[in-house]
Amino acid sequence: MAMRVTQLMSSSAMLRDLNDGLSRLSRLQDQLSSGKQISRPSDDPYGTSRALALRGELGGLDQFQRNVDDGTAWLNTSDTALGQMSDVMQRVRELLVDGGNDTAGPAARAAMADEIDQLAESLKQEANVQYGGRYVFSGTATDTAAYALGGADRYQGDAGTITRAIGPGVEIPINTDIRGLLGDGQAAGDDKLLNTLRDISDHLRGGTAADAGALRGTDLQRLDANLDVLNGIRADVGARTNRLAIAGSRLSGLSLNSTKLLSDVEDADMAQTITQYTTQQAAYSAALKSGANIVQSSLLDFLH
Amino acid sequence: MTSSFFGLQTSLRGLLTQQQALDLTGHNIANANTQGYSRQEALLEPTRPYVLPANSVNTGAGAQLGSGVDVAAIRRIRDQFLDLQYRAQQMSLGDATARTNSLDQVEGAFAEPSDDGLAAQLKNFWDAWSAVANAPENAGARSALVTTAQTLTAAFRTISDQLTTVAQQAQDEYDAITGANGDVANMASELAGLNRAIGDAVFRGQQPNDLMDRRDQLVDRLSQLAQVSVTDTGDSRWRIDFGGVTLVDPSTPTGYTWPQTLTTPGGKLGALLDLASATGPALTYRTQLDGVAADLVRSVNALHTSTPFFDPTGTTAATISVVATSATVQTGSGTASGENDVAQAIARLRGGTTDQLYQSLVARIGTESQAAGRAQSTAQSLVDSIDGRRQSVAGVSLDEEMTNLIRFQRGYQASARTMTTMDEMLDTLVNRTGKVGL
Repeated sequence: MAMRVTQLMSSSAMLRDLNDGLSRLSRLQDQLSSGKQISRPSDDPYGTSRALALRGELGGLDQFQRNVDDGTAWLNTSDTALGQMSDVMQRVRELLVDGGNDTAGPAARAAMADEIDQLAESLKQEANVQYGGRYVFSGTATDTAAYALGGADRYQGDAGTITRAIGPGVEIPINTDIRGLLGDGQAAGDDKLLNTLRDISDHLRGGTAADAGALRGTDLQRLDANLDVLNGIRADVGARTNRLAIAGSRLSGLSLNSTKLLSDVEDADMAQTITQYTTQQAAYSAALKSGANIVQSSLLDFLH
Repeated sequence: MTSSFFGLQTSLRGLLTQQQALDLTGHNIANANTQGYSRQEALLEPTRPYVLPANSVNTGAGAQLGSGVDVAAIRRIRDQFLDLQYRAQQMSLGDATARTNSLDQVEGAFAEPSDDGLAAQLKNFWDAWSAVANAPENAGARSALVTTAQTLTAAFRTISDQLTTVAQQAQDEYDAITGANGDVANMASELAGLNRAIGDAVFRGQQPNDLMDRRDQLVDRLSQLAQVSVTDTGDSRWRIDFGGVTLVDPSTPTGYTWPQTLTTPGGKLGALLDLASATGPALTYRTQLDGVAADLVRSVNALHTSTPFFDPTGTTAATISVVATSATVQTGSGTASGENDVAQAIARLRGGTTDQLYQSLVARIGTESQAAGRAQSTAQSLVDSIDGRRQSVAGVSLDEEMTNLIRFQRGYQASARTMTTMDEMLDTLVNRTGKVGL
């Protein structure tokens, strides 16, 4: 026997269907307006935890990118200063070659010695270069100048290393050991650049045959040795800058990839959602129309 | 031999009975949209026949002469077996609905995935540590870190508070339903009254259909709250067991006993008790959130060795707090201003156990909320389908009632026509007999 159907049954079934249709529509509308297919964890629990992990990962990548930018700026500051030092040393070398010639008189040599002292000071000034208010060549003692201008030639920083995290577990030192180039001056007798410069200056002023010999011989050799050290340091800084640049482009690649993955997990597929929305809307309108037509009629309409 | 007026009486019974049936049809139509109404049907039955004694007919035997029709009973059409199924499903629906509502609130409290959830706050916290690592000398970066950390702990506390509130609301709702003037007390007292009225009516030989509908409807509502079972005590009164205890018992003076402690609550009340309990979802999530907070405090403080960064005693989501100030934030293990090894190490905690614990908590909430939502829609569709079958049996069909209307109207007309015929017959007998040739 066919099921007995009453008016209340059809009207409440219709109401239920309309309600279902409307709630599906409103969910799709939510997705369309927010652009997200996950608005709460229960929409897709696995997707939610993926989204949270990816968001965290993206946050980390963005931070590494900022670290790379900061490290690059720091290294660029160092490189500029080292470039200036290199120019200064070229000038010292010219003076040294001139001063070693017997043609230069004592007055000219004294003037050269003065210039070399000035150049030593300007080397110290370059060593005191700052990035963001921090002394880049002072190790971790970033609030202390590396050398005291006009004072002793002693290094005032420490041997600490400053690093930047550029990836998970990857840290790269961004500071440079300037003491290995400039040294602690004549008092230490370490044959480093400041010691060499002060000796040259003394030899220029001295005027004896031994001084002239030193200028032509050992001083020139020591200066060239110091220049080699500087070139080594500059190459190292350049290499680290390159490493940061490579890390930076790798990070933006990773970041792009994670953003795409996050979008796949979290964002609504607009074409699909709009299609579904249109379909649901058509179904809903049809339900409304049929409801209006069917539920009203009964035998009553045909009895007179 | 019967009286000459016997046929008039038969027609009168027909008229009265058809009229009663029409009245009943009217009652059904009037209640076509009444919730819980079961359609009623008049059981028509021939009245007791007139017995003609022996030798009344040619064969010498007696006979019985039909004397018309009467309404034997007005029957309520309802399938008690469907009621049982309906109530069992109502209980599951009550349980699932309470759970879904509560878990909805929990999900709202976490507000994930979004740019302001706890996951985002944790990300900001790690970012702030990285910023300090990049500029350890900078007091601004340190004070930004402290502010970010305070925002993070506030987010922990807010979620913890909201979870506590969700559990408390479940308890409040339970108390309101089961309280002295709550739904259960009101329904129990009404049921006891209905039991008395139904018993009295049945004792007088009546069928109190509308009272029974009302009683069924109340039991339907009760079944959403907890496990309900009904026993007929023999006189159409019901003893109603509710959540493992006897709620309505016609043999007691008041007819019901409330408040009581439910021994096996199911349905909505069972769900509310579970939601409010320390082992219920909201408070379990809170405990798990406490674990996230404790892990954060422990792992950051273990690296921040000079002074604690977070209050070491505040290891729950409600008590986590920042004790470091921008002056005491430790950036490096030594004293040099540019040292950043500690800040670097803390920034490396990003994506570590704290983040993972939190992600698994959110995933768990999502899974359980989704399961609750599915259980609810399953229970809802089962309830709808059984209710449909119940309606199919008990609901008023207007087409059917219109047909009945015509049927009984025609019956009435025909009875009236019979009476007219009888009248004409008597007219012949009374007024025209014995006037031959006049």
